[in-house]
Amino acid sequence: MKLWEHYHTPTTVDGALALLAQYAGQARVIAGGTDLLVDARAEGGFHPYPALVDITRIPELCAVEEDGDFITVGAGVTHTQIVKSSLLARYATCLVESCGVVGGPQVRNVGTLGGNVAHALPAGDGTTSLVALDAEADIVKDGQPRRVPVQEMFLGPGQSLVDSTRDLLLRFRFHRAADHEATAFKRIMRPQGVALPILGCAVWVRLDENRATFEAARISIAPVGPTPGRAGEVEQALIGQPAADETITRIAELAQSTLHPRTSKYRATADYRREMIGVLVRRTLALAVKRAQTGDIVPEGVGA
Amino acid sequence: MKEEITVSAKKTIVLGQTVQRIDAVGKVTGETPYPGDINLDGQLWMKLRFSDRAHARVLAVDTSRAEALPGVVGVFTARDVPQNEYGLVIKDQPVLIGPGSNSQVADADVARCYADCIAVVVAETEATAAEAARLIEVTYEDLPAVFDPLEAMQADAPQIHANRPGNILCHYKIRKGDMAAGWALADVVVEGEYHTGYQEHAYLQPEAGLGYMDEQGRVTVIVAGQWVHEDQEQICHALNLPEDQVRVIYPAIGGAFGGREDMSVQIVLALAAWKLRRPVKILWSREESILYHHKRHPTVIRAKWGATKDGKIVAAEATVIGDAGPYNYTSTKVMGNANLCVTGPYEIPNIRVDTYAVHTNNLLTGAFRGFGGPQGAFAAEGQMNKLAQALGMDPVEIRVRNVLREGSLLSVGTPLPPGVSIGQVVEQCAEQSYWKRNGDGWQRPPTPQPTDPAIRRGIGFAAGFKNVGFSFGFPEQSWATIELHGDAEIEEVVVRHAGAEVGQGAHTVMAQMAAEATGVSLSKVRLISHDTAETLTSGSASASRMTFMAGNAIRGAAALALERWKNEERPAVATHQYRPPKTTPYDPETGRSEPNFAYGYVAQAVEVEVDVETGHIRLARVVCADDVGRAVNPQLVQGQIEGAVVQAQGYAIMENLVTEEGRILNPYLSTYLIPTVLDVPDEVKSVILEYADPIGPWGARGMGEMPYLPLAGAIAAAVFDATGIWIDGIPLTPDRVVAALRDHGIGVF
Repeated sequence: MKLWEHYHTPTTVDGALALLAQYAGQARVIAGGTDLLVDARAEGGFHPYPALVDITRIPELCAVEEDGDFITVGAGVTHTQIVKSSLLARYATCLVESCGVVGGPQVRNVGTLGGNVAHALPAGDGTTSLVALDAEADIVKDGQPRRVPVQEMFLGPGQSLVDSTRDLLLRFRFHRAADHEATAFKRIMRPQGVALPILGCAVWVRLDENRATFEAARISIAPVGPTPGRAGEVEQALIGQPAADETITRIAELAQSTLHPRTSKYRATADYRREMIGVLVRRTLALAVKRAQTGDIVPEGVGA
Repeated sequence: MKEEITVSAKKTIVLGQTVQRIDAVGKVTGETPYPGDINLDGQLWMKLRFSDRAHARVLAVDTSRAEALPGVVGVFTARDVPQNEYGLVIKDQPVLIGPGSNSQVADADVARCYADCIAVVVAETEATAAEAARLIEVTYEDLPAVFDPLEAMQADAPQIHANRPGNILCHYKIRKGDMAAGWALADVVVEGEYHTGYQEHAYLQPEAGLGYMDEQGRVTVIVAGQWVHEDQEQICHALNLPEDQVRVIYPAIGGAFGGREDMSVQIVLALAAWKLRRPVKILWSREESILYHHKRHPTVIRAKWGATKDGKIVAAEATVIGDAGPYNYTSTKVMGNANLCVTGPYEIPNIRVDTYAVHTNNLLTGAFRGFGGPQGAFAAEGQMNKLAQALGMDPVEIRVRNVLREGSLLSVGTPLPPGVSIGQVVEQCAEQSYWKRNGDGWQRPPTPQPTDPAIRRGIGFAAGFKNVGFSFGFPEQSWATIELHGDAEIEEVVVRHAGAEVGQGAHTVMAQMAAEATGVSLSKVRLISHDTAETLTSGSASASRMTFMAGNAIRGAAALALERWKNEERPAVATHQYRPPKTTPYDPETGRSEPNFAYGYVAQAVEVEVDVETGHIRLARVVCADDVGRAVNPQLVQGQIEGAVVQAQGYAIMENLVTEEGRILNPYLSTYLIPTVLDVPDEVKSVILEYADPIGPWGARGMGEMPYLPLAGAIAAAVFDATGIWIDGIPLTPDRVVAALRDHGIGVF
């Protein structure tokens, strides 16, 4: 089945932008293709893409790098690369945990985090973690470089700020977890991924210097709305509270009573999801706190 | 997965030995072609246009825009089908829906579900055919539709077939003993309403095939099915052609499980090749496969059983309602099995069962591993486990006190055929899993619990029995031809047998049985199969029948061929038709019958861990004891046990096909979740028992379905053991489990 007419593999960002300009809206960026080619196949091959511009051969987009207190993850970095990164395992644990349960090994080997975000999947596991990490995205939009909070990349389900026929997502950038800080990701799902989660939750916490009180927190749960978001009210309620089981239980109850997930007909009812918000926030928050308190970090649930 | 086999093998040359599958190397290396891998010179591509309505009269089919598309070679509609109907048991479904066709089906212009096909498009490329199929304009007149079998049975419900009042396709009754007398003896009575869902076969290979005219001018179809001669018969009927002008060939078949029992692409491929005189290929996507072949029947089963305080069941009553979808397919057979299995492998003196197959505008439903047995067993084993609980009796002990014995009368008033082993099977399973027998009978020590309070461990038990063959009066038969080639010694044994190798290992087992019967080594046996031009009919590779039927046919042909060999005939050739003992259908009022000529018996113990907060059930371990009569190839038997357990695990826990007004909402394996390697049990322990069937070949029984039957009931019992809650609906999705647990205040932090 013919899915495209021309396939390009530029090796520089400028080269990619030039190709997109040359095709004037007829080409599409491909960064793994685990969603794009499924969509193309559904068309039956009668309308192949005129051109695909593959950005995963551009070296600067395929690296995980330290930049002072920041870490950058290129838009062409695969889930497997993220899972295998010891830097991310230590300083952005939730990202490793979430990318490790996406799809199966074959999908993780080619699918990219950048592709997930550019495709605006509302409940991508990696996206949930990027939101909790307060990541920013470097993009080229309408020919201009911009830096935007990752949440602003999502205009609606499947609707992205970047037009993948003209614009480029270059990389994500976020603070590495400092001392007293830690992250965790968990989801409600059967053992093997393959499918989208019933519910995913990523947490970032900062404890005080005695590691006894919450100084700050970020909690992202998806899918709750049409785009990824944070549980602001719940985050606020944590500040200044003791990092103890009672707080965690109370916060989980608060999350359950304030967040309103939807029913998806073949994945889960809203009732079940609401019930699971409590369970998931409690379990994920407890894990993040334990990590911040002990400094002992071993990513969980990473697929083989 | 860790395995362990217990086999009491009798020493022979090749029978009873784990020899390597004869098809192993080709399949593992990828050299063996499946239907989708085959291409013919000059082939065209086919796409089908299905109904856009659940229930509507097709007033017009405008193909002009499709025909005008460059590259389109042919578009066919109902008018092009010479005899426009098909069906394995009853020919009640038009091949193509539309006005003006020659059909015995009343209202052959009415689409009764989304899987009804309206037009066939053939083009130079697959993409062109797909685009042309979209360009066909169909004009519908909507008809009122019904999607709930209970509503469909109401007097004012829309009628789906004019000749089936109340939408009732069939109603089986069983009347045994005296119910009032039975209830009077009961010290405890338990009742339950059980719900079982759809299941998709999800075989590896989506439907595919080619149609062409062979060198002898026969309309030939290469396809994957379960019975080449039945496919041939269906094509002959629809095209109104004699048998010798139609040929069906199966290459390798990528799984079947009953899902290829009925027609998918067979007739339309033959039609296009016959009309166009050119090779035509079709290849369904996974989505098309899920959307357009039948599913397991969902059922609602109400059951009420009573027992004395010493655990003897004295009365059982059940109503079984199965959603038959809009056409028969194999519904009459499926619900016939549910009718028999719903009172379990137990001797019960007083029984009343009413079983209905009811038409709706939902999905096509038909054959699927177990043929209604799993639905019946889920209710029967639920009742049995609840009786044990109500009596404070061990679930193994209560079964031992009630199992069918040699000479016991079945629900249908006649004894089982000799070789009844369910008692031994239940006890072997108990002993090899979690139970011990002491002076008070069977007991199970308490289960150690995990340290995480959210995780609770439980153990459950269930049993079952499965008939071999369609039977219930169906005239069973299977043909084999044996050719002995050579001079002083037999140098080659050629076996002609049509039986389908659907992945279960039938061809390896046939070769082993032929070697055994003729006394040669396996390397001297050559099998010719899967081709109507080369073989006589085998009957279907379904209903656990192929080893039993083929074995007896091969054995009979071999004996005759050896006699001719002794008489110096070279080659010595003999053909034999095996016919098992006659069976009888259900009596319409009492159900009295001799329904089957052979059975296999099974029991299972399972260990689960329930996360009471999230409702996730982990199936940790399954011990499955199966009386297979004789394990012709123990590794293949083990493969069937493990495969059945995993498929039943999906049915019981994970597989949730969601429909809305007759339309499937999740026709993808990313949204319809089946078990993968990370979901399957840590251990499936296969306990292979060999109590010979007196009429089975070398004592073998059929066994491909029975390990499937008890699992859902055993899991439900294990969930009860873990949580104290009975959940009577499957699949046990996290949603359903959490709702049930929270109703009882479990899992709240």
